[in-house]
Amino acid sequence: MITLNINGSVVKGLEGSSILDVARSSGISIPTLCHSGALEPSGACRLCIVEVNDGKRNRMVASCLYPIREGIDVYTESERVRNARHWILQMLVDEHPGSEKIREIAGAYGVQESAFRSDDCDDTCIRCGLCVIACKDVAGIRSISFANRGVKKEVTTAHQLPSPECVGCGVCLYVCPTESMERLFAKTRQLAATVEGRQP
Amino acid sequence: MNNGIKTGLFLCDCGRVIGKRLDLEEIGSRLNGRDGIISVHAHSRYCLAGGLYELVKTVEAEGLNRVLMGACSDRIMKERFMGMLRRFGIMESQIEMVNLKDHIALVHDNPRDELTYKAEALLAGAAASLFCLEPHPPTHVEFGGPVLIVGGGVSGFEAARELARNRMECILFSDASTPEDALVSLLRRYPGSRLFADEMEALLKDVYCAPYVTILPDRPLEYLDGHTGDYRLGTVQPDGTVEEISGSTVILAVDRKFAPGLKPTIGGCGHVLDQVELEDNLASGAIRSGRVVFWVNGQGNGLKFQEMSVIAAWNNSQFIVKKYPRVKPTILYPAGVRLPSTDESRVGERARCIEAYAYDPDVHPVVQSGYVTFVGPGDHLEHEIKWDNLVVSSEPCPISASKPDLIRYLPVFADEIGIKKAPLKVKATHEPVKWPIIAGSAMEPCDLSEALRQGKRAAREAIRLRKKARDGSFASPLMVVSVDKDLCQGCGLCNEICTCGAVQNIRPGKGPVPREVDPHLCDGGGSCAAACPYGAMKVLNNSSQQLEARVRAVISHMKEKDVLGFACGWGAQGASELAAVRKYTYSSRLFLIPVRCLGIIDPTILSMAFLNGANFILMAGCTPSASCHYGYGVDHTWYRVSLMKKLLGMSGLERQRISLGYVEVNEPDVFVRMVESFLSEVDRMKPIDRGENSRKLLLAAHSTLHRPRMRWVLGASLRRPSEPRFPGNQLNAVDFDEVVQEVLEEEYLAARIVGALDGTRSLNPPEIAGALGERPIIVSKALGSLVEEGRVICEYRAPYPLFSLPRAV
Repeated sequence: MITLNINGSVVKGLEGSSILDVARSSGISIPTLCHSGALEPSGACRLCIVEVNDGKRNRMVASCLYPIREGIDVYTESERVRNARHWILQMLVDEHPGSEKIREIAGAYGVQESAFRSDDCDDTCIRCGLCVIACKDVAGIRSISFANRGVKKEVTTAHQLPSPECVGCGVCLYVCPTESMERLFAKTRQLAATVEGRQP
Repeated sequence: MNNGIKTGLFLCDCGRVIGKRLDLEEIGSRLNGRDGIISVHAHSRYCLAGGLYELVKTVEAEGLNRVLMGACSDRIMKERFMGMLRRFGIMESQIEMVNLKDHIALVHDNPRDELTYKAEALLAGAAASLFCLEPHPPTHVEFGGPVLIVGGGVSGFEAARELARNRMECILFSDASTPEDALVSLLRRYPGSRLFADEMEALLKDVYCAPYVTILPDRPLEYLDGHTGDYRLGTVQPDGTVEEISGSTVILAVDRKFAPGLKPTIGGCGHVLDQVELEDNLASGAIRSGRVVFWVNGQGNGLKFQEMSVIAAWNNSQFIVKKYPRVKPTILYPAGVRLPSTDESRVGERARCIEAYAYDPDVHPVVQSGYVTFVGPGDHLEHEIKWDNLVVSSEPCPISASKPDLIRYLPVFADEIGIKKAPLKVKATHEPVKWPIIAGSAMEPCDLSEALRQGKRAAREAIRLRKKARDGSFASPLMVVSVDKDLCQGCGLCNEICTCGAVQNIRPGKGPVPREVDPHLCDGGGSCAAACPYGAMKVLNNSSQQLEARVRAVISHMKEKDVLGFACGWGAQGASELAAVRKYTYSSRLFLIPVRCLGIIDPTILSMAFLNGANFILMAGCTPSASCHYGYGVDHTWYRVSLMKKLLGMSGLERQRISLGYVEVNEPDVFVRMVESFLSEVDRMKPIDRGENSRKLLLAAHSTLHRPRMRWVLGASLRRPSEPRFPGNQLNAVDFDEVVQEVLEEEYLAARIVGALDGTRSLNPPEIAGALGERPIIVSKALGSLVEEGRVICEYRAPYPLFSLPRAV
């Protein structure tokens, strides 16, 4: 067992677990979008950012990926964390104004849409890749993946065509934090070749 | 006393999401000690590192062999828990997860104690199911024998070469005995392939000389039986006797045959040819010079065939330019189809004198003597091309006519496009062998290079399986069907129903021998098990007994207005869980039991549920045919529900007490509407009167569904929806339904009579008729056949015969 301080209180956690794991187990809430208990964390949304003091210096880390160490001090709601989280949320909410979930978290932190708000209300995908990981690890196939890089990065199927590998398990729909998978799901899913409809 | 079953109940709080709505402590204390539950544990989040550690530690310390989790979705989380628990010898079937979060906590607004009660009901059901589980480990097979390549297609030769290169033995059934014969037949099946004759010759020579390849020419298929790793193929030898050849797997390589094209309607004897005739005429020297026009026609055969025809025309043109410089090829192709060349190479081809013109397919070209007139797609003006020889496209032959033996013995079917495997879409991690491995142009129109590629791919699949078997990782899925040989009567109904090809064919003339199921092919849909008239089939690790125990336990917690729900594991279960994610709410009166496929639900479970206290049943499945992951599971359920409705009607109850709904995984709103609609419908009905009379009627309905005759008639109606006819002489749905109704009425009456005679009572026909409220003449008739069957014995004491049940010996 490793002992550490979170927001001044002493908590214990297993070696190898992340700060987020330990915090959540101890009832300390840290906001996340791209975290699911069933999947390996990927640190994509950065919302879980916390401040860590390891005795030498203060660092901002993604708590879902940062493994706990003996004696570190973690601050989940310090001024610096709140500021960083504010800007992360500001960018998320401006980039994806159509997402209910992002607005909800942003609202809790008092973040409003700015003048730089995107006009595209349909695109609610934050490219966190949870669906891609779920497809690979839970469903055991790779029918969806990332394509392109930078601003053009998107989740899609091979050649942008309906995926014959997709078994339609719907795991991606379930894990998607912003309900953006719905649009892609209809596109991805290729119904099994139907023999014929039911006869009367 | 409980056969060493140790179930641990683990309740996840999910970070107060569940705990806020349910009293987990209360649930734990009420369930502790029930149905093998030896300990109850709770944690704030079992999915996080700390929770997983606690879970693993508890399982290890207490030596648990069943794990029951009240947490979230098993579709998402089970894999993670399995990853931790596999090393304690716990199999997938030994973990049962009840989705307290998405099925209760997030979707109902009811008070805490009501939801706690509902959670207890669902968990008690899952515990009862685990209690009845008999764990069967997966089976492994040897995969050492040769690969059997049947069908006689070209892709088979490429498969054989690839297998020989990898030192895997194969037996090739070909029409040709020498490489020369093989080449001739091959060139005929792929028009335009003469360009590659040299390469093909090399391929055939390789195959005929390869040490790992055995070629058996002219052996028609007589039968096929066996299972993955050990197939036995009966082939007719030239002298008429049947030889049995064994192999580890089967590759089906079939080519499409072509018939002459539009020639009869065009005429022009000797100068209007199809592709194959052109090749023959060129080879024999009948065509030495002049203009050959390839007219790509045959719109009716679809775009794919036209593309193939264009490729053939293109290859033949190149062949002509190369070999016969005095012959000028011209291609006339429909504007929608692409030429198999780029713009740049077309410049080069033009220099080599291949001309190509597109025609507007809306205006059919007209052939005259020496000229063909067509309309240009750009200018809409008529143009003419002069021809000395006109080549039309060949017509594809339907597959079903040419290969009836394969279609009969292999799990494939032919439609208008080609040979297909039955659609099978189960979880990728369950990978049943994708058998038979099929290749060649019979599946889908393709050119020679694609057919060869498919052959190579098929061979690599076989090699992959051999490697897997050698590694020891070639294991069957856990939940597969198995047949009890002592109970099986060999009626073959399962074989008729099975869509995955796992129920083995038997040798013709062997009679009613017990069937076997290949665990490596079975998708575990279980519709065959639910249809078996004799109860001889069982889904291992997911049996009907488990489901029955589960339903009983859940029903015992249900109130009068509650609805028992079954959810298909792919469509409805996904939708119901997504409903929680999307923040929908619905009434807590629905007690949902997830099943793999609705088809796995034996009709007796439905009647048992009504008999034991359920008043309403909702079956939520996926959309028929298109998305059922097990072929036709939900279609089969339709017939079972329909039969149950009939029985309810005959028992004096409303038919609407049971209903079937269809919902896709991405339609949570549809799921919620469906539930609310059914609930509002059942509100109009009263709970079933649980008096003696009503109980007797439901008991009769329940025992009717156990009768082999009834199950046979029901099973016979479970045809694949693609089959237009019903078995027997019945041609349409209403006629067949009337047959079912007739049998049902007879069996139902018989069951009621047996019910009326219960115990040691001896009654005469008027007394029985009075007790049943039926006319004596009908009862007497039924009694006659019951006596014949030996279900009732008759003693004559004036003035009436007395009937009673046979006494147990």
